[in-house]
Amino acid sequence: MLFLTGATGLLGGAVLSRMLRADRALRVAVLVRDPARWRGIERVSPVAGDLCAPGLGLAAEVRAALARDVDLVLHAAADVVFSRPLDIARATNVEGTRRVLELAHAWPRVERVLYVSTAFVAGRRTGSIAEAEGNGVAGWVNAYEQSKWEAERLVRAATRPWVILRPSTVVCDDPAGGAVTQYNAVHHAVRLLHRGLVPMIPSAPDATVDLVPADYVAGAIAALAVHEGLAGRTFHLCAGAGALAVGDLLQSTWEVFARDAAWRRKALPRPVLADLATYALLERSIDATGDEPLQRALRGLSHFAPQLALPKRFETAGADALLGAPAPPVSAYWSRVVEHLVAVRWGMAA
Amino acid sequence: MSDRPCLGGIAYAFADEARSVAELGAAGLLTSDPAVLEGFGFGHAHVAVAESPYQLAVAAAGRLLEERRIAPESVDLLLYGGTPGPLAQQPADVPWNGGLLQTTARFKYPAARLQYELGLERATVLGLDQLACVTLFGAVRVARALCLTEGLQRVLCVASEFFPAAAGREAIFNCTSDAAVALLVERSGPRNRIAGAAQVTKGYYWDCDALRDEIVASYFPTAVHVVERALAVAGWLPDEVDWVIPHNVSRTSWEILMGLLGLPRARLWAGNIARRGHALAGDNFINLRDALQGGDVRPGEKLLLFAYGYGAHWTALAVEA
Repeated sequence: MLFLTGATGLLGGAVLSRMLRADRALRVAVLVRDPARWRGIERVSPVAGDLCAPGLGLAAEVRAALARDVDLVLHAAADVVFSRPLDIARATNVEGTRRVLELAHAWPRVERVLYVSTAFVAGRRTGSIAEAEGNGVAGWVNAYEQSKWEAERLVRAATRPWVILRPSTVVCDDPAGGAVTQYNAVHHAVRLLHRGLVPMIPSAPDATVDLVPADYVAGAIAALAVHEGLAGRTFHLCAGAGALAVGDLLQSTWEVFARDAAWRRKALPRPVLADLATYALLERSIDATGDEPLQRALRGLSHFAPQLALPKRFETAGADALLGAPAPPVSAYWSRVVEHLVAVRWGMAA
Repeated sequence: MSDRPCLGGIAYAFADEARSVAELGAAGLLTSDPAVLEGFGFGHAHVAVAESPYQLAVAAAGRLLEERRIAPESVDLLLYGGTPGPLAQQPADVPWNGGLLQTTARFKYPAARLQYELGLERATVLGLDQLACVTLFGAVRVARALCLTEGLQRVLCVASEFFPAAAGREAIFNCTSDAAVALLVERSGPRNRIAGAAQVTKGYYWDCDALRDEIVASYFPTAVHVVERALAVAGWLPDEVDWVIPHNVSRTSWEILMGLLGLPRARLWAGNIARRGHALAGDNFINLRDALQGGDVRPGEKLLLFAYGYGAHWTALAVEA
């Protein structure tokens, strides 16, 4: 039996579907806060619990049953809001992971724990980022990154064999349609660009944006979850060499926006690329003015945009070799994502 | 000598009364906390009380002609801009009267009066309007073009901008000053060659009150764009710029723009921001005069002047000192 956290999220749900399709005998227990709201899926049992509760808040009889049956743990649940304070991010991402690992240790049949992390545990490091542990010395851009890195450390010290999977930023459901089910900071940033509220983007000249579609990540996790012989390894589920240069991403975004004659007539300027010091000066300046709309706009960017000024390239050779193909290059579908966002007005269209 | 349109002289006149930012705040003339404006580099501003915009225009233009020993009849064209029509001719402490614009009094234009009173006998007159703080940049472009295409030898450009005494002194976090600026554009000259000019107008931002946040967001990228265009016309690389002669808006905004242009802050000639505040009439040219007179700028140095006219206009000039 698979014990899965995060099944109600975009990625966790997609992984669940794939694993059920791939293994007709698979049974799954999914951790959910409210089993009554769980959509019924054959061979899937919702169990009530909470990452932030001791023992995940599992009832004793449920815990006993899981101890008997679970042989694979896939921990995909996380608080992915970049702007959380560190203590809040830790409560879910670090302590939640600690509780999952404690149960995995206590359940005798568990053969492997898979932990869905993030490529951005690399934080402020630049250059080529290997599919291996980082030392964290460079620091992080936001509390989410730090909390996921701290959680990784717990996983690496776990008693059960483990595999760490590090997706980069999930930006759409699938590359063919570009549809977006779950909005995140990237989509919010594109919306601010569309409204002409982004004066500058902190970015190094050679910076790229690493994005991935959910279906690639879900497929990769589902495949690696059942792959033998991966214990102790870490994999980047990233665009890697297919990441898109920031300038090209802006160009592509503007081309899509400009298909709308009314938008084009406004002649909104494309944001300039700034170094971190200049961007920080802008933030302080806007803060001093107390201009709330611009403060909100910049805050929306500030929790992740500084990554663009810390150019890095995620190595993906390990994942690519096992999966047989790299993630689709961002350039192949980014325009469709922007088209979708504009068409549905960032989820506000009827 | 081939045509080398240049800035042949600059003079200015400020309103007599100078008040500190703290005093302006105490008088209720600022919308922001004075500490915020002081943090942005502002110290003092000149506030007209008894003077009219026209009086300062006469003072600035007269000073220019006198200092440069220019015979008034040698001026081919007077370009005038700033506080509109009859309003320019009443003291700042007289409440603005919209009725003036609804009668034939509206035709009592300060530009014609200036031509007469300064004895610019040969000069024809053109008025420039609706460019906010970049009126003189527009005047320089027009003057330069007419020097090259119509063979004019000498164009006197004058701008005088006031806020009424009762009005606030703050415009989007900038502390404003009442002043007039006069500058001479000549067809050829040895100094201050106009090497390049660029202007971008984005009419979308005409409703500047409703679109203030969008304007603030567009300020920097459009500024970088227009500066790059002006430098390209001049054939200069950004790093070749010896001095950036600013308009006196927030010093912090200039530090940001210098960062975006990749220029060290030491090349920003910024001392007048604290001393003078932001003169809507054209403080780049006030600063240029002071920088030249103070010896900070040496002959042959490459100067970049950038200004933004609130609402829709971004402009830049490349000047070889």
